[in-house]
Amino acid sequence: MSDVFSVELENIVKRFGNVVAVDHVNLKIRENEFFSLLGPSGCGKTTTLRIIAGLEEPDEGVVRIYGEDVTDVPTHKRNIGMVFQHLALFPHMNVFENIAFGLKMRKVQKEEIKKRVKEILEIVKLEGLEYRRVNQLSGGQQQRVALARALVIEPEVLLLDEPLGALDLKIRQHMMVELKNIQRKVKTTFIYVTHDQTEAMTMSDRIAIMKDGKIQQVGTPLEIYYRPSNTFVASFIGEAVNLIEGEVVENGLVDTSLGTIHCAGSLTKGRVAVMVRPEMVEIGDKLYNVDNLFRGTVQSIIFKGSYIEYRVDVEGNTFVIHKHGSAELGRLHHLGDIVEIGWKKNSSIIIPI
Amino acid sequence: MKGTNLFLKIFTILVFLFLYSPIIVMVVFSFNESKSIGVFTNFSLRWYEKVINNPEVWKALFNSFWVGAVVTIVSLILGLMMAMAVTRYSFSGKSILESLILIPVIIPEIAEALSLLIMYIFLNIPLGPVTVIIGHVAFCISYVTIVMRARMAGYDRSIEEAARTLGANEFQTFFKITLPTLYPAILAAGLLAFTLSFDDLIKTLFTTGPGFKTLPLVVWSSAARGGVSPELNSLSSFALSISFLFAVFRLRVERRLER
Repeated sequence: MSDVFSVELENIVKRFGNVVAVDHVNLKIRENEFFSLLGPSGCGKTTTLRIIAGLEEPDEGVVRIYGEDVTDVPTHKRNIGMVFQHLALFPHMNVFENIAFGLKMRKVQKEEIKKRVKEILEIVKLEGLEYRRVNQLSGGQQQRVALARALVIEPEVLLLDEPLGALDLKIRQHMMVELKNIQRKVKTTFIYVTHDQTEAMTMSDRIAIMKDGKIQQVGTPLEIYYRPSNTFVASFIGEAVNLIEGEVVENGLVDTSLGTIHCAGSLTKGRVAVMVRPEMVEIGDKLYNVDNLFRGTVQSIIFKGSYIEYRVDVEGNTFVIHKHGSAELGRLHHLGDIVEIGWKKNSSIIIPI
Repeated sequence: MKGTNLFLKIFTILVFLFLYSPIIVMVVFSFNESKSIGVFTNFSLRWYEKVINNPEVWKALFNSFWVGAVVTIVSLILGLMMAMAVTRYSFSGKSILESLILIPVIIPEIAEALSLLIMYIFLNIPLGPVTVIIGHVAFCISYVTIVMRARMAGYDRSIEEAARTLGANEFQTFFKITLPTLYPAILAAGLLAFTLSFDDLIKTLFTTGPGFKTLPLVVWSSAARGGVSPELNSLSSFALSISFLFAVFRLRVERRLER
């Protein structure tokens, strides 16, 4: 992995009136990385992106692009590309003119413009649509035009602000794979803002989770899923999560209202939460080979296709369990059944509160 | 249900008859051969011939056109700037400004005309085409601002931001993105301003200098001189048809704008 940083944010603060939209954000984004800013709406992720673009001026802090301080450089002089949430294609221009706009602003020769537009149209798979009006294109095609327009200028960084938000699920899933492929092909840093964890998980090399203007955690999708640094990240990422509060008594042992829970080793002390992902919990009439074992009552059963979601009540605590891939998808357990649930100690992670 | 429908139809026809019958009568009698206003005798174009052979009419028409053109350009520039200021920026006194811009639409034209005249006399500005143009611009800005503001309220500024990220500076963004996308609204506002200027009588009457006449002024002075005559009928119909053409054009542009 590259040690060159394409974008660095140093102590960025942005206030809107009394609201602190971005609160001392520090980020170092590597060259050619697919980096996502993920968080609920209003967490400051779009503002952070707009600060990198120069569309928003930070109240404090420094923005660097490839080491150069660009904090006071206006947008049109930063070598960035941006794909907007509602695409922002120029309605009075056709596909070719939209894509060529950035090159014209850079005073590129006519022949060269033609050549480069052609190349980029191939990459985004829009050959032959040069002279269509943009409002005659489908949502997915408009998406590609927006992408091509931002990429054709060969920006040092490509910023994407929830660009897939307006698309249907199927096209969105397709575009996710496509985007990742395009990123590999053009070899540019992509900074991607989204509130959709599937998008972030699918495409990103690393993800920064934001909440209330602050970065909660930066890590690979795996790290963020399995090693969340706090309970917000734990519950924000993934479909569901089991969190049990307790007190660390000894390395890897947490005292909770359900008794002592065996966990993976951790240096954290004091009050903590124990996190277990639903797919790590086993369920059965009799369980063996688990380090933590509880007995409870089945509260609800939901068939979700590739798995069954059980909710099991253990002394007033509800556990969510995802049971995958059993050959007989008939219901193994029924409502009101007394069952055993359990997991191995390495599946439970200690998170500081 | 059917009864109500018929009633509505008749009612609508009556309303339109009420609105347009004077104009229809005027146009019909402009083709009357007789000198009398009351009785239609034969179809004739003699009054139109008289109008067309009157150099004063052509001079006035020319004046109306160039005054209208200057008024349109000046009020478009000022009105566009005004609309941009109130839709894009927040500043103290903005709401006062937004109300002030509406005043020329509301106050009686005669009061506006009179106050303009008083101001010109007070400032010792000689009356003539310039004072007419200032007077027209003073109320056309309001209409232009209103049309442009309505259009710009729903304007998606992210296309301007997109242009900025693609390397366009503020001027390039304004001329290559903002203006072209606002073009239909600018055209509609411009045609409105032109029609208003072209049709205006009262303010022109008060603010014009000796010898400078626009088409409505010629109609007016001919009526004042000789009373109602068939020649006046055809002169008015002539002026009407020009304004009518502009109105139709404007409506078409506006319809395209809504689409």
